[in-house]
Amino acid sequence: MKNLRKFVEKIGSPFSSFIFMLGELGKLLSMIIVGLGYAIKRPHLIVKEIFFSGVLSILIIAVSGWFVGMVLGLQGYNTLQRFGSVSVLGSLVALALLRELGPVLSAILFASRAGSGITAEIGLMKATEQLDAMDVMAVNPVKRVIAPKFIGGIIAVPLLTALFDSSGILGGHFVGVTLLQLDKGTFWSQMQGSVSLHDDVINGLIKAAIFGVVVSLISVYQGLQAKPTAEGVSSATTRTVVHSALAVLALDFVLTAFMF
Amino acid sequence: MKNNLVSLSDVSFAYSEDKPILKSINLEIEQGKITAIMGGSGSGKTTVLRLISGQITANSGISRVFGQDMANLSKKDVLKLRQKLGMLFQFGALFTDMTVAENVAFPLIENTNLPISIIHKMVAMKLEAVGLTGTQEMAPNELSGGMARRVALARAIALDPELMLYDEPFTGLDPISLNITAMLIKKLNDNLGQTAVLVSHDIEATMKIADYVYFMANGEIIDHGTPTEVANTSNPAVRQFIRGELGSSFSYKYPAKNGYEYYLGRN
Repeated sequence: MKNLRKFVEKIGSPFSSFIFMLGELGKLLSMIIVGLGYAIKRPHLIVKEIFFSGVLSILIIAVSGWFVGMVLGLQGYNTLQRFGSVSVLGSLVALALLRELGPVLSAILFASRAGSGITAEIGLMKATEQLDAMDVMAVNPVKRVIAPKFIGGIIAVPLLTALFDSSGILGGHFVGVTLLQLDKGTFWSQMQGSVSLHDDVINGLIKAAIFGVVVSLISVYQGLQAKPTAEGVSSATTRTVVHSALAVLALDFVLTAFMF
Repeated sequence: MKNNLVSLSDVSFAYSEDKPILKSINLEIEQGKITAIMGGSGSGKTTVLRLISGQITANSGISRVFGQDMANLSKKDVLKLRQKLGMLFQFGALFTDMTVAENVAFPLIENTNLPISIIHKMVAMKLEAVGLTGTQEMAPNELSGGMARRVALARAIALDPELMLYDEPFTGLDPISLNITAMLIKKLNDNLGQTAVLVSHDIEATMKIADYVYFMANGEIIDHGTPTEVANTSNPAVRQFIRGELGSSFSYKYPAKNGYEYYLGRN
């Protein structure tokens, strides 16, 4: 009986921790929403965060998008050639990027580059009592530090996704048109004919904005939860990347089912 | 009758039930005086400061700050109360993404509606008060430990608080920086009429500037009085602490728990 109880506890513990974490995330989100007004009145704080998490991620996003586009072009060309449909390569590259790969990969790359940085910064601010100092100076750290980072993330992810998509399409164009001698006009006209502004472009960006909310929330939450030690901050940054990647992939399935 | 800015009556606090940090302590902080709270590491000194600043709330007992019962204050009231107090953290806790001037200006910008030209002047005045006028544009990582502590002091006094809380202000400082910091604390107290609570385990510097001293051990107040009274106390634990002796009152050993024999393989 005792062993059975221990077994059930062992199985149930991760679930109860998960539910507890969801509750904590909800609580933090409500505190951030309350603090949004404060952050919006101080646009320089948001601009600084967009620079840190968005502008400094431009290179990794553009380069990754370019290579993903090139791979899509190459794989797409090989597969489509078997069916004599290479003319739709432009549509394939664009739809794959706009609907799925752009939002998902941009969000995961954002979590790895900027999200981990946000977690480490907040974790170190906590470890060095900077958040406590702010609190004692009658300034709410959630409003002053967390809310601007959260808004910055929500703005940056869709913009980075748009960049990833554009760069990927150019990568696909480079492989399809420049290297494999596909007709330039066919590549662009097929894409223009099959891509819908609302269904593909806007829905993809809405997806990206939702991923931005999730990744930014996980990043700030893990920063606040980090133990004030070197090991604690390191574990928190790892958790940010792992949890964000899992959340983005799981949410992508749900969003795709509803949106497309 | 003494005018007390802070009064703790039978206050107990614990993060978890099996590990009490403060055990029914009674403490009074008189207005305009420097009151030191001394004791070894882990005795509960910093927890007292956290109670006074409203970062934590007592599990039992009454803690009054500026005459207000902290247990009955809303979050908004606590924030309002904090504008009347300043706190110097153990390692300064300067904001590393801001310059020295921005650090000192921070509480002024956040808590007042003063024009920026006045804030510039006030920042210069506060930095002059701690002898660091030339550091305005420097980043915290360009400062020495002693300088960083003084910048943090300038930031803590930016709003001219009535009550100053100092958490181990002398830790890790060289003798010159230590004396400068002690002198500044005394000067600020005398010139601005501030009340100060000084948590420290530096005997010499603290005894020199404090008006009244509380001694803590294991979450309890074991002695209190003026520095002279405490220096001549008959309490063996306080005597041992002041003289830094290896006695029986303060043990440096952490006792073994149940199962110790088992781990050694003796069972």
